[in-house]
Order: sequence, then structure tokens, then C-alpha cells
Amino acid sequence: MEKAKIRVLIAKPGLDGHDRGAKVIARALRDSGMEVIYTGLRQSPEDIVGAAIQEDVHFIGLSILSGAHSHIFPKVVELLKENNAEDIKIIAGGIIPDQEIPKWKKIGIDAIFGPGTSTKDIIEYINRSVK
Amino acid sequence: MKLDKLIKKLKQGDVRAVARLLTLIENEDKSVETILRNIWPLTGKSYIIGITGPPGAGKSTIVDLLANIALKNNLKVGILAVDPTSPFSGGAVLGDRLRMNSAQQSGIFIRSVASRGHLGGLAATTRFMINGLEMLGNDITLVETVGAGQGDVEIVKVADTTIVVEVPGLGDEVQAQKAGILEIGDILVVNKGDRPGSDRLAKELKMMLSLGEHTEWTPPIVTTTAIKERGIEELWNEIIEHKKYLENNEINKTRLNKIQYDLENQLSQQLFTKKMIQVGENEIENMSKKIFKREIDPFTAIETIIKQ
Repeated sequence: MEKAKIRVLIAKPGLDGHDRGAKVIARALRDSGMEVIYTGLRQSPEDIVGAAIQEDVHFIGLSILSGAHSHIFPKVVELLKENNAEDIKIIAGGIIPDQEIPKWKKIGIDAIFGPGTSTKDIIEYINRSVK
Repeated sequence: MKLDKLIKKLKQGDVRAVARLLTLIENEDKSVETILRNIWPLTGKSYIIGITGPPGAGKSTIVDLLANIALKNNLKVGILAVDPTSPFSGGAVLGDRLRMNSAQQSGIFIRSVASRGHLGGLAATTRFMINGLEMLGNDITLVETVGAGQGDVEIVKVADTTIVVEVPGLGDEVQAQKAGILEIGDILVVNKGDRPGSDRLAKELKMMLSLGEHTEWTPPIVTTTAIKERGIEELWNEIIEHKKYLENNEINKTRLNKIQYDLENQLSQQLFTKKMIQVGENEIENMSKKIFKREIDPFTAIETIIKQ
């Protein structure tokens, strides 16, 4: 499978419109040779999981700054399970309180990258997990 | 997923299986031949509509609206949307989905495709991806090309109906006379019809068509303002007209021609690969050096290599 590419869906669930972070990540992943499907603002968990399945991605990247993650994380995890698509991993970024991180990892969020994370670290993380 | 299980699921029209097959096709995975052999009789059943035009012309928005009209007419739709791969990193940001929100909400299968270095407006594997998508049982496949330049005309070898989307403000009337993308449209669309210059562009396109050879099918020119959902019903009606026209005029012959074109392409690729393995890269390099030093001309070189 020498022509295989890592595919990542970058989604911006919830109602806040601050998508700069999502765009920076999308661009950085592209520049590292990945195929990034960018879905835009205000995506529901159903939209995100539906798109991830159709696009057959390795990762869903969720960018949330509004605090809506406590509703959205469990929902996305649950919908992936319902669709037998647990092999699609979830990474997240934005404003997620540090003390909550272990809890989210426990329910199935693969990694959480807070403010200040270098894009290089995210790329390395993805590359390592896919191999 | 095991191969036989995957094939079984494909035959049931399973969404995940189809998504996985599309990935395998894109990756030119070894298993693709076996899978396609198994499902080939079940493919080729959708009507293929191609949408091409320059970047930012409104292709994705139009695809989104067409998909919903098709759905209203009780037709099942699948969408392939091609975007360019970066020639530097090999990566891509695929953003066509962004404009296809309503199609997505209607549950229509949308797949973003990176061109992966292939020129011509599509990816090298697009034809087989359409066949893969057909396992969902769709009546219509919408294929959106890369934002196309004047020479990106490959879509015409794939689609039954090709729609070329133009917008005002990109050049003077001489642009409309040039060969290439404008020639391949079965339907021409002037989008952003609310912008100044759209009437004029429609007239220029009409003029261009009247100067050309008169064929049985004269491409209609439809003015749309996709963002306000204007003109899309008219466009849909023209698509239906063109489909009827093809069906009355040997659609099977046209489709057969396209399959022959594909077969020739694949054959030439495979023969090329075989020959390269047989003679080896060194021989090609040697010959190139000889041509460079003018010890031999390219034609004799090719003849010699073919005879080996």
C-alpha cells in the first residue's frame, strides 16, 4: 500500500465560530502530506460521524472552544460505536480543562492537544498511531 | 476486513464497505483487481453527471443543489468531489464538503477525493471509484472536478452529461473562442448570475456556440445564482433533456466508446510497465545518454527498445 495516505477529518462542532485553530491544523497536516477533509463550522455529532465513515478517515479531529465538548465527546464516541466504526480515532483540541483529560481519554478520546501545542507534535502523534 | 467479507458486504450495499473500497481503489491496493472482478457485473448502473469549471465558480454549491433536486425526484445520489493534491507535500485540504451541507444532511454519500498528482481534472482512479460508489445502488453519480483550467477535459471521458460552470469577470470574448474546457460542455452554466457581466457572458457563449459546427445537440446555456438557489430547476430540466437525447441517440455507443478509451489507456499503462521491467531502467538511461550525445536519434532508440 505504498500509495496509502493518512486521511483526517477536521470538524468544528458546536456553535462558536472560532475556526482559526482548525484551519491552522488542517494546513499543517496537509503540509505534512496528509489528506484533510475540512467540514466547516457548526457540525453536529451525527454530521461528523457520517462524514468520517464516508470519507474512511483514520482520525477525527475535533476543535471545540465553547465548552460544548462535555456533550459532544460522548456523543461522537457513542455514534462511532453504533456504526461499528470504533477503529476511527478521535483527537481533540481547543479549550479542554486539564483536569478533565483523563476522563475523556477513558471514554475513548485518543488524545487532547491544548493551546500552545506545536503542530509538529500533532503530526508526529498521528504518524505514530497510524503505523 | 477480510476480502471475501468485504465483497459480501459490498454486494449488500454496506456504507462502510463501500467507503473502504473507495480507499483501496485510491491507494491502488493489490486487492482492488480481485474485488472489482467480483462486483463488475453490478456496476455501471448510474447516470454520471460531471461538473467542471474554474476554482470558485460555484461547482460544489451547484452539486449540492442538484443532489437535493435528484433526491426530491426519488433518485438515489452519490457524490465524488475531487480537489487538488499539493505537488510539494503530497497532502491536500479537501473542502468541497463544506459547501455540500444540505446533501450531507440528506444522508447522501459524499466522498472527497484528492487528485494525487494526476492532471486533467480528476484523479487517476476516478473511473473505478465511480464504479465502487455504484455499489450503494445510486441512480445518479455527481462528479465534481478539480477547479479546472482550460485543458482539464478528462471529465468528458467519464461523464454522460458534462456541465461546464463559468462565471463573469474572467476575461474577454476571445476566451470564449478558445479550444478546451468550453468545448466539452453538454450544458453551459453561467453562475453568479447576480453579478455584473453575467448577461454578457451568456451572450458571448451563445455567440461562440452559433459560430461552431452545428450538431444535433446544441448545448443550452443556463444562468444560475447558486447561492440564492436560482436557476437550478432549469439546470436540472436541461440535464433530463440531455439524458433523453442520449437515450434516443445510442447512449450505449457513447458509453462503449468511453470504455474502449479506458481499456486502451489501462492496456498501454500495463504494457509499458511490463516492457520497462523487461528492458530495465539501465537500458532506458543508456539510450537517453546516447540520444543526448546525438549518437542515436529518439526514433531508432524506441525501435531498438521495442525489438528487445
